[in-house]
Amino acid sequence: MDVALNENLPTTTQFNEGIIGQSSMLHKLDDQQKIYGLRARREALDALWKQGVSGNAVLKQHSEFIDHHIKKSFDECTESGHGFALVALGGYGRKELFPFSDIDLMVLYERKAKKNLQKVVDAILYPLWDAGLEVGHAVRTVKNCLADAKTDFFFQVAMLDARLLAGSQPLFDELIKKYTQKFIEGHRPEFLQEMLQYRTKRHTDYGNHTYLLEPHIKESRGGFRDYQAMMWTAQFIFGLHGLGDLKQAGILNKEELQSLEDAHDYLVRIRNRLHYVCGRKNDQLFFEHQEEMAQAFGFKNDKSRLAVEYFMREVYGHLREIRVGTDLFFEHVTEVLGHAPSAKGDKELEPGIEVRHGRIHLTTPNLLDSKPLLLMRLFAQSARSGVPIHHRTQKIVSSNLDLITEKQRHSRRMANSFLTLLADSSNPLLGLSSMLETGLLSVYIPEFSKVESLAQHDIYHVYTVDRHLLQVIAELQKLRQEESAVFSVVEEEHILFLAGLLHDIGKGFGSGHAERGADLGRIIGGRMGLADDELESLVFLIRNHLFLSHTALRRDLEDEEFIMRCAERVQTPKRLAMLYLLTTADARATGPSVWNEWKAALLQELYLKIALLLERSDLSANDQDKGKELGARWMQEKVSELLPENSDMDLDLLPEDYLLNFAPEIIVEHIKQSQYLVEKDVLLFHEEHQESWSLLLVTKDKPGLLAKIFGVLALHNLNVLAAQIFTWGDGTVVDTIEVSSAISLNYRDQNWHGLEQDLEMAVNQRLGLEHRLHNKLAPLRKTIGGTEKRLDAKIEIDNQSSEIYSIIEAYGHDRVGMLYEITRILSDFGINIFRARIGSRADQVVDVFYVLDYDGKKIKNREFQKELRQGLLFAVADE
Amino acid sequence: MKKIEAIIKPFKLDDVKEALNGIGIKGMTISEVKGYGRQKGHKEIYRGAEYIVDFIPKVKMEIIVDATQVDEIIETISKAAHTGKIGDGKIFVLPIEEVIRVRTGEKGKEAI
Repeated sequence: MDVALNENLPTTTQFNEGIIGQSSMLHKLDDQQKIYGLRARREALDALWKQGVSGNAVLKQHSEFIDHHIKKSFDECTESGHGFALVALGGYGRKELFPFSDIDLMVLYERKAKKNLQKVVDAILYPLWDAGLEVGHAVRTVKNCLADAKTDFFFQVAMLDARLLAGSQPLFDELIKKYTQKFIEGHRPEFLQEMLQYRTKRHTDYGNHTYLLEPHIKESRGGFRDYQAMMWTAQFIFGLHGLGDLKQAGILNKEELQSLEDAHDYLVRIRNRLHYVCGRKNDQLFFEHQEEMAQAFGFKNDKSRLAVEYFMREVYGHLREIRVGTDLFFEHVTEVLGHAPSAKGDKELEPGIEVRHGRIHLTTPNLLDSKPLLLMRLFAQSARSGVPIHHRTQKIVSSNLDLITEKQRHSRRMANSFLTLLADSSNPLLGLSSMLETGLLSVYIPEFSKVESLAQHDIYHVYTVDRHLLQVIAELQKLRQEESAVFSVVEEEHILFLAGLLHDIGKGFGSGHAERGADLGRIIGGRMGLADDELESLVFLIRNHLFLSHTALRRDLEDEEFIMRCAERVQTPKRLAMLYLLTTADARATGPSVWNEWKAALLQELYLKIALLLERSDLSANDQDKGKELGARWMQEKVSELLPENSDMDLDLLPEDYLLNFAPEIIVEHIKQSQYLVEKDVLLFHEEHQESWSLLLVTKDKPGLLAKIFGVLALHNLNVLAAQIFTWGDGTVVDTIEVSSAISLNYRDQNWHGLEQDLEMAVNQRLGLEHRLHNKLAPLRKTIGGTEKRLDAKIEIDNQSSEIYSIIEAYGHDRVGMLYEITRILSDFGINIFRARIGSRADQVVDVFYVLDYDGKKIKNREFQKELRQGLLFAVADE
Repeated sequence: MKKIEAIIKPFKLDDVKEALNGIGIKGMTISEVKGYGRQKGHKEIYRGAEYIVDFIPKVKMEIIVDATQVDEIIETISKAAHTGKIGDGKIFVLPIEEVIRVRTGEKGKEAI
């Protein structure tokens, strides 16, 4: 603006005319020396700043510089200045004058001095105006002041910083005395109420987060206003002036005092510099200024991070100090003045932790030494109940972080509490935020400290990494309702939430954060004692957390080949559901430019395409899918290589789907086993897996074979989870069936020999399945109550999704033997089942069958469809 | 002067943009839009839950050019946005009465 003084000097008069017009002609040109001096101050201040004079000192010098000029102007009024007092208010009153801040100046006068008012005001204000300074001026008597303070809370607060610059001390004293009597004494609770109201409003107006992309240094959370509100309140309520007093009074400890002081000083330096950089009164750290600011503060780019990211990390860190410090202060004051919430909900939550006056307290802090788990339990209870933790208890946590040792980090009980907080609480964000702020989160997960307050210098990321991660948890929590259908597919909810919290943990070291994060995730998950498959899911989610969102925008979603590759990468519907939810939560928690309805629609389309493919597997049988044909041929070659020389097996008998479903070695094994069908009618192989047992059945095709198999399995208390049925060209049937036992979890308890015998009898039509099942189920039938939620029974016949097969979907309420009845009815209708997916989960069933009628055609006749639907509904519906 | 409005599949945006850059078109306006034409919205049922897609996400690009360039641009967009499947999009050509560059006040061709 007006830094290049030397050239500007001669044109000052023109400049003045432009700004304030005629009135400026009233004062004499010899004032120009004064103006020159006022203007030069900014260069002088800049020089100080460069010399490393700290923030507050610069402000003080600036204030004193202005003081000096105003005093000089006032002294020149001599006689006519009697009965006046010049009062500095607000920031200027506190001697915290920023380069482009308003100079809050009040001309206080006695009534009898009114005749000289114009003269004094002109003498004081013109030089300031002429120097281009923003002057917030007011002319008042003591009576005016009191009246204004009554109606205007901001003025009332500004009066707290009143400082006499020049003129009548008695007049000033009178004002202060009356002000104190009228507003302070006996009005403390009202003041606090009003202060808290403005504070809340400010936080809503300027964003409740310290961590926004472009923080407002003055008004946002942890900014100057929060700090000042604390100082004003301390002065008003307790008569304490400055941080030192607060420490004396025991409200702050030494470390807190130091960090608040440091933070405030840092913010002062930022605001100072920001005013220079912008050349005007601007208190928001806009994106485009951040880089220049970082340079000015001496930060340098390095391999992994930009200078600006280092800089913003510091800024956020200091804002956080002030936010946490002032929050604790206001909680303290509220309590002292008896505004705390009522004691109505007081109770013990668990031994050592209780709710008092709407806050969670640690009852016996010395219990912590023997039971460090309590530290975690506090936050788990807070997240579960939605009740915040009392500030004193938070301080206790902060000062006991050394109790979390390597042993605690490996503790299963600690991990369980933490995972409950994350994935099984009504308000995980509440618990996590205070965990982050007390430092417990980064002590429990040391890897987390690397992303604390870490800024990302781009326009997408509104939050710092740590806050973003917490926000993702909050979004996941919301998705529970909003995407309940997808959520119900997820079984390992705690893994989904943990992935949400850790997915960006690899940030801050240049590109490849997903890979690095996946490695860290494995370490962290391992430490928490996750099972192997849980760990795999966690690592998968972190590694692929960008996959869906990148793909949805950049790839042709009509390209089946491509969807197939996605499906191969994701592997299971459960993982897909988790990845989809994580992707959605991640995008929603990043910022407004990343997520909108449009992108949501694309992402959902991708999700459904992959999901349906995973569900129906490769049976959407598209002939144009050359890749598949080639794959089958390649498999044939592999199999023939592995087969013994003398084998007379015709590999062309093996259907394509079958070839693509198994490893060559396994197919060779099947072929070997099928030789024994000469001696036996049924070959049964069983194997124990983690969640289920897997059966391989080799037999010859017969009408109603599948119904018989399912009937025998029901007799042996085995629930079918999934089944794949393959029929070779020569009538050899190879079925793989995943089962779990309804009565025992012990694999060795199962009577496998009996099962094989019954199967043998059943395929040879020597087992009365109908009556045996009826007798077996009789006692069960009565107990099937109506209390659980029932899925409506429904039969869908779909001729669209597959080119070759009709797809029958049976929705129903699971019960033992139902699968037997469905397959028996299909067999009665002469329908051949080529593939089945048994989607039992909880107690509802969606069974999918790929079928053809007795002529080997799709089921197209409407009458027949209706009859078939009726018949199946009979089996599926509840009795 | 003409305005060319093209509705294309989102994943084709980069291809089309590049192709247009290739023939010297540097300026365009892009918006994320939703709608449907022959490629109707559809309903998917997955695990018992219904997913209704009423409007399909598309990208709309708007380019103002001199009338002589229109044919070349249409050809370029058509080629780059083509997959041969339903929903590839549409191109509209509209007459433009006047173009004014705000900064300089230039009008007509100069302002494009």
